[in-house]
Amino acid sequence: MNSKAKNRLTPILFAAITAAVITAAVVSVCIGKYSITTADIRAILVGGQVDEMTRKVFITLRLPRTVMAVIAGIGLGMAGSVYQIIFKNPLASPDIIGIAGGANLGAAIAIVSVSTSGMIAIAAGAFWGGLIAVVCVMLLVRATRATSTSTYVLAGIVINAISKAVIMALKYFADPENELAAMEYWEMGTFGNTTLSKLLSILPMFLIGLAGILLLRRQIELMSLSDNECRALGVRLRPVRAAVLALSTLMVGSIISVTGLISFAGLIAPHTARLMLRRNNSTTIIMSGLVGSFVVLAADILARILYSAELPISILTTVIGVPILVYFLCTRGKEVS
Amino acid sequence: MSGLFSLKDARISYGKTEIVHGVDIDIAPGEFCALLGLNGSGKTTILHGCCGFLPVEGSFTVADTDCRGLNEKKRARLISFIPQICSLQGGRTALEVVLMGFNSQLGLLESPSAEHKRAALAAMKRLNCAEFAEKDFGALSQGQRQIVILARCIVQDSPVMLMDEPDSALDFLNRHMVLAKIRELIKEENKAGLITLHDPNFAMAYCDRLLLLRQGSIVEELDMRRAGAEEVREKLSLIYGDIGLLQNGSSFLMGKAL
Repeated sequence: MNSKAKNRLTPILFAAITAAVITAAVVSVCIGKYSITTADIRAILVGGQVDEMTRKVFITLRLPRTVMAVIAGIGLGMAGSVYQIIFKNPLASPDIIGIAGGANLGAAIAIVSVSTSGMIAIAAGAFWGGLIAVVCVMLLVRATRATSTSTYVLAGIVINAISKAVIMALKYFADPENELAAMEYWEMGTFGNTTLSKLLSILPMFLIGLAGILLLRRQIELMSLSDNECRALGVRLRPVRAAVLALSTLMVGSIISVTGLISFAGLIAPHTARLMLRRNNSTTIIMSGLVGSFVVLAADILARILYSAELPISILTTVIGVPILVYFLCTRGKEVS
Repeated sequence: MSGLFSLKDARISYGKTEIVHGVDIDIAPGEFCALLGLNGSGKTTILHGCCGFLPVEGSFTVADTDCRGLNEKKRARLISFIPQICSLQGGRTALEVVLMGFNSQLGLLESPSAEHKRAALAAMKRLNCAEFAEKDFGALSQGQRQIVILARCIVQDSPVMLMDEPDSALDFLNRHMVLAKIRELIKEENKAGLITLHDPNFAMAYCDRLLLLRQGSIVEELDMRRAGAEEVREKLSLIYGDIGLLQNGSSFLMGKAL
């Protein structure tokens, strides 16, 4: 397919994925133990007559949950795409620089030291844990005085390993019925704990991260070149890379502080977006966010309907993600790297 | 009086190991120079020092501006760099790759305008590669890619061009084509050009001056506009040992004496 044909197809693909996300969002609002119809949604939105219980479920539970799933998919998908571009690694995902390990450790510490059911404390622990882990990665890179991209990946592996060791120690000493179960459950992720107040508390940080990534998209594109070529074109590599990592950390940290860890979404969405657009530029980053949003929404819907109790989200994102990854393995030769 | 590009008593190190020992290079506007030497002689190290990838001790100026303390953006306005192979594999059109050259002229959050796109297309037309503009960069041949990178250099619009074996991945015909375009650009735009090459025959055919490098020092210079066969043979022998030389008018062809 030549580039002109690709250019003509791009708006169609964006329209299709946007329509898919909107449809999934409507289904997500309707599905659950308390059913809401599309007529109810329309009535609430236009200020018509609707049952008070329905209104309450919509405002306090379904809408925040659906919005959270949408922004989680956008954030994880975009961050995954950004990391795959700047680390020049198709296996890079948002946890490559230690954020997932740090958030996991923060949540585990909050569960052990505060409460197994203190959701605000766990969210705060996860957020600050993720942030501190990334700061540690940056400090470690600074201490090595190396500037190559691989140093960030290696520092991320170190911080992830340390986090994992501490988590294992916490699990070993944790009360198996309450604390250990809460830690395991947090690692599998869920949208079931989303509330309006939690959504509103993380939304500003998510939006700052999102806006920053979109504004720096041209610099991110340039960072797909080798470090030397990038510098020769005038990219101030060290500060720009630090800014991109800080902004994406803000975006991902704010999401997983509420939802817990969500596997695969940040890895699968960029690959799907690249395959759809046959490009790897700033357009792909945005497409990756939309694909991520659809995948997470679909996983959250399935999590609610497949079993009598709600399933953890990472089970579903993995079930959706693995066949896609196998497909990519089979068609790798055709994919634009 | 210093040239457009001036390196004086330059010492460049990898960590604590000094690779380049007190090198002097002066290049005038419109002059195309080659750095020749065997592997490990310090050719690429000199270019990396000038591009700011490695620290340079001594004096280094471009258009009388001290380049040693400049950040990447200010340096990119003075010096453009063509690597052996562009690190980008694909996923962008050739036009998008050329537009990257405007980065040093744009603000951090600014995007290239329609005017920039017109200028990028004009640069591609000038190098007869406008038909690649909408093609994926990864789908182009190595020769076509290097021409696109040369167009990126044109839009970067810096007075100095540094090139690290830009012909190394090219076949015989593409080598001639790329080096001819580089020479033409340097002459037309009055830039100072410094290129590292492995093949002395291509250097003698396209460059004005050859700087012969051995173990991190420039041991001799050859001005190809004036040099005679005896001088060429004698000086190239310092690097390549016993050589044979054929002369055809003002052109030379070197071979290794067996």
